[in-house]
Amino acid sequence: MSVAAGGGEAKLDKKKLMIYGIGGGIVGIYLAGILNMAMDTNYFSFLAGLGVIAVIVMGSEAVRMVCAYGIGTGVPSIGMMATGMGLVAAMFGLSIGGIAGPIIGLVVAVAFGYFIGAMANKIIKMNIPVMEESLTMLAAAGAITLIGLSVLVAGRIDYELIMGSVIDTGYIAVLFIAGSLAILHPFNANLGPDETQDRTLVHTISTGALAMIAGGIASIAIIGSAGILTILIAAVVWLWAFRWYFQLVKRDSAGVVGTGLLPKGEM
Amino acid sequence: MIFDANTALYIIEIVIGGLFVGVGVHFVPVGGAPAAMAQATGVGTGTVQLAAGSGLTGLLSAGMMMSVTDNILLVVASGAVGAMIMIDATMVVGNWSYIYGVGVPPASAKVDYDPITKNPQPPYVSQGTVGHGIPTVCYVSGTIGGLLGGAGGSLIYYALMNINHNPGLSGMFAIGIFVVNAVLASYNIQGTIEGFHDPKFKRVPRAFQACLVASLVIGIIAVLITGGA
Repeated sequence: MSVAAGGGEAKLDKKKLMIYGIGGGIVGIYLAGILNMAMDTNYFSFLAGLGVIAVIVMGSEAVRMVCAYGIGTGVPSIGMMATGMGLVAAMFGLSIGGIAGPIIGLVVAVAFGYFIGAMANKIIKMNIPVMEESLTMLAAAGAITLIGLSVLVAGRIDYELIMGSVIDTGYIAVLFIAGSLAILHPFNANLGPDETQDRTLVHTISTGALAMIAGGIASIAIIGSAGILTILIAAVVWLWAFRWYFQLVKRDSAGVVGTGLLPKGEM
Repeated sequence: MIFDANTALYIIEIVIGGLFVGVGVHFVPVGGAPAAMAQATGVGTGTVQLAAGSGLTGLLSAGMMMSVTDNILLVVASGAVGAMIMIDATMVVGNWSYIYGVGVPPASAKVDYDPITKNPQPPYVSQGTVGHGIPTVCYVSGTIGGLLGGAGGSLIYYALMNINHNPGLSGMFAIGIFVVNAVLASYNIQGTIEGFHDPKFKRVPRAFQACLVASLVIGIIAVLITGGA
């Protein structure tokens, strides 16, 4: 994870975030898939979840970039669109690509995102300079998130297995919403004139960990006790990220004081 | 998968469905955050929430119908009715909250006279607001929006079901294509619209073009995906 240590106005370059996000996501998915296959176990599935957290951080940065312009429809719309585009690309990649599925899904998602961003600017005339770039990042984030969470649940990079254990069971709906919320919620919660990049992105790590917990709960029914390992690791990540986030909230706020309850007589 | 006449037909169905969704969004009275505080006309939430709520209900009723017949008209009609019921219920309950909870009369600030009931609007618009509640014209417009959205969503679902025969995959894909078109359309209206009487409704052609191209590209990719085993 590449989020700058708390304190100060450390501005992270978006290129760096893209490399860490996409790289981390793809590496996590492949490590999970290949190690699981090589050792004939499911206990490495949590690696896909850690990759998903990395790519969700990148998606959250893209939401930050584009929503700073005021798109008029609220932050949730763009997060839902990210996973909407990502879902079609992810399933296309997995269905035709076999083991190369995640890479093909990523490429298709990048093309979708750029294309839809260009249309929002050229036809709908939104005239937001970063539209193409951020929708490209968002579609990539949506696709890798869904592939990663699917691999987390199924334990293998295998379309037939994912169809049976993620799509047919309906867990895909949970992963879809959990992934969207993890991408869109941090900026929605932190936006405002005093928004700082590190606070938003650290918050993203905690929401990503929650998406991983959701995937872990779904995976218990599929891969058994390996799912419990995923939940435990995600819970540790969440606790760590949320404590860090709370420190940053205290740093950025004018004051955090406990006021206690109202005195009895004034209720 | 080989491209044949049927595949082309399915792509056309997906594109028409996407266009229905994109145009349908323009009919739904979306008020956004101001409407949630009764300071603008429409339902107090965003386009995506409304479109997703009614669209998903439409998909459920379309899927229900699809399990007993593959007549395209019945499936699409079932989806449209499901979405209309959902959006109408939302608007009725919303109006109850506005009228009995907040205490404002439904009124539109975009027109002087309600095009359907011919009632004057300005006397009922509170000062400092741009209308509140869901007046008759918005209600009728919203119902038309539900019809188009539900029909579009179920048309996409129908086309995908005929390709991959997997309800889970088709349903999620329909949601994905639905969301992309609904968000593009809501960018076109910049988040809020009252209905077909709103001046912003004249922007429909732009959303039509954008949704046409977007649905075509996503549709071509979507028909290539098989349903597994």
